[in-house]
Amino acid sequence: MSDFDAIDSLLDAVGPQAELPPCQVRRELRERARLSKAQVARALGVSPSTLSGWENGRDPAGEVRTKYAYLLDGLNAKLTTETETTTAEPAEERSAASGTAAAAVASMSSTKHGQDEDEVELLAVPEPCVLCGRPARQRVAGFAQHLDPSGCQAAPAQTPKSSPTAPSARAQVPRTARPPRPAVGKDTVPRGRAFQEPSGPADLIHEVVHAVLAEHQGDVEAASAVLLKRAIPDAMRLLDETRKGARYDVIAHPWIPDILKKQTSRGADQIWEARPKWTRPELPPGQHEVTALDINGAYLSALKTHLPLGQLEHSTGFAHDRRRAGVHLITPPAWEHDAVLPNPIGQRDEPGPLWVTEPTLRLLLRLSGPKHRLCGPPEIHESYTSGATENLLEKFRIALKDARDSALADGDGLTLEYVKAMYSKFVSTMGESNYNRELYRPDWMHIIRSQAFANLWMKALKAHDAGLPVVRAMGTDELHVIGDWRRVFPEGRSVTEVKVKDTYTAASDTEASTGQEQ
Amino acid sequence: MPEKNIDFGKFGASGIKGSEAVARQLDRLAAHIATPVTARRGLMARLHYLTTSDRAWQAAKDAGLTVSDRTLKAWMQGTRRPSKANLERIDAAYRAVRRRNVARHLTARLNREGRGTRVEIHPIDQSGVARQLQRVVEHRTMNVRRWDKIVGSWAAGDHQGLDDAWTADVLPDLGSQWGQYEYVKNIGFAA
Repeated sequence: MSDFDAIDSLLDAVGPQAELPPCQVRRELRERARLSKAQVARALGVSPSTLSGWENGRDPAGEVRTKYAYLLDGLNAKLTTETETTTAEPAEERSAASGTAAAAVASMSSTKHGQDEDEVELLAVPEPCVLCGRPARQRVAGFAQHLDPSGCQAAPAQTPKSSPTAPSARAQVPRTARPPRPAVGKDTVPRGRAFQEPSGPADLIHEVVHAVLAEHQGDVEAASAVLLKRAIPDAMRLLDETRKGARYDVIAHPWIPDILKKQTSRGADQIWEARPKWTRPELPPGQHEVTALDINGAYLSALKTHLPLGQLEHSTGFAHDRRRAGVHLITPPAWEHDAVLPNPIGQRDEPGPLWVTEPTLRLLLRLSGPKHRLCGPPEIHESYTSGATENLLEKFRIALKDARDSALADGDGLTLEYVKAMYSKFVSTMGESNYNRELYRPDWMHIIRSQAFANLWMKALKAHDAGLPVVRAMGTDELHVIGDWRRVFPEGRSVTEVKVKDTYTAASDTEASTGQEQ
Repeated sequence: MPEKNIDFGKFGASGIKGSEAVARQLDRLAAHIATPVTARRGLMARLHYLTTSDRAWQAAKDAGLTVSDRTLKAWMQGTRRPSKANLERIDAAYRAVRRRNVARHLTARLNREGRGTRVEIHPIDQSGVARQLQRVVEHRTMNVRRWDKIVGSWAAGDHQGLDDAWTADVLPDLGSQWGQYEYVKNIGFAA
């Protein structure tokens, strides 16, 4: 009997093959349903490259063809009903979606720039453009977008066609929208990829602020107290959120060498962070107007630094490896420019070798390099290093920076304070702190601080190179210069700009400078 | 168990028993008094901790600090200094009592109502091993849900019990290569 069963099934198999829509339509259906190739291929039990083949001119055969036809049919039906209910498509759209021809729509008047092969839908209700985020009235392959490049790059002055929903659509513009690329041909549509939600760690911050504010019925002071209290756990949560799908794990509890451990309960470890604390010994002759500049978000910017990923490994006598980072025992080079520029290793009284972190070492190497030649190269004796990346905290930093920028733009002091507490407390408690036990990385803490100091030092050098006498460099964010600093540093509140802390006059003969606030 | 190391360190690898690393981390989380017992400040802090209540003093006695009340009073007033052996006994008693006191709270923190705690396991240091004998041993993380036995035996000072709880119950969850993590460089977790 079983023989006949097999023959019967064979006979059944030989029959009319399932109808498939043309290749173009296959892809469009999949993309409009926001399915990735991998997802569809997994469902069908084939490889994604096979599926690519089917969407580019080849035809499946046999049982899998039936499955594929079934899938496309289902998608077709689903998308047709959706478009009917949501956007009230014209009649020809429905006929196109029924799987016979996509070319019918391609004759629409709005197709330009060689997009004839793509199906262009006209939207009754404008949706945010995938490229620039402004309301667009056309949709190609499931992506709302402007077909005209000028419409896409539109400046605020060039308002889109007035429609009642336009302001709300603009409010939904993702803050991390990329600069619009000119729409040339097919490249306007990110074709090979499934649709991805714009990841929103910055939204996490706003959500928390709104939630807390709502909880306290808009009492800003109470909300601020609560937010400051939960800044550290929230920063850790944000870090986890931004590390999703990332290449490297955040290793929170590695083995730590003794030099990074505190010697006593209140003491310090052996790392020298190179904090600048420098005042120019002699001013240039005459009376001067000195401006005290404040670097915005110094620690926030310093989160971009080479951080060792894993456990620190010991090495001796090797030259510096750019792909690794950590702490190094060096003999610093002699510094001969103390009259005009601070020492890059800070105000060190003790001579001899000292443990410095990666940013300080890189700063010294840079200054000893052919471009600057300000000092000799540092001599490295031993190092504790690990493979490093600059991108470990990058998304975290961007999320905080975006939240900070938008808070500044909106004049939202509460979010600003919360963001500031998040990054500053994150840095100060990532070492051996009982306030944050999730992360035990004293090495990172030192490195990030040193990076802030190195950044300040480079700003001092920039001012010096532009002919502005530097009077003082203090701590993480204080730089006093003489002269017209506005041609060197832009003024403002963003992290790339500086703000004025104070202005005072100082004379060369008197030590005491008179603080006259303006 | 066949995965257990028989002669660890034969080829120059260095590391500590995983259970010992766990005990160290638990000790760090218990936040002992940082000043050493040899300093007056540290000694007084420990004595005060042990004499806050009758229960605490009884626990200290159970932990092996058997001195008369008169001696204790002299120590507290500073008229006499404890001998070196007694300093060690004070420190040991302090540790035992402190561990016992924090155990319940620590267990609750680590169990997190059944969600457990993520544990990082950093592999042994192979820098002393000849190149051709070195093996790729990766950094691993795992979630440990049941801490009662681990913290319980740590609080009771039961090294063998802690080792059994860690090596026999927890480590095999790492998979077939768990033997590589019997000895480690460090084990880290937060509570």
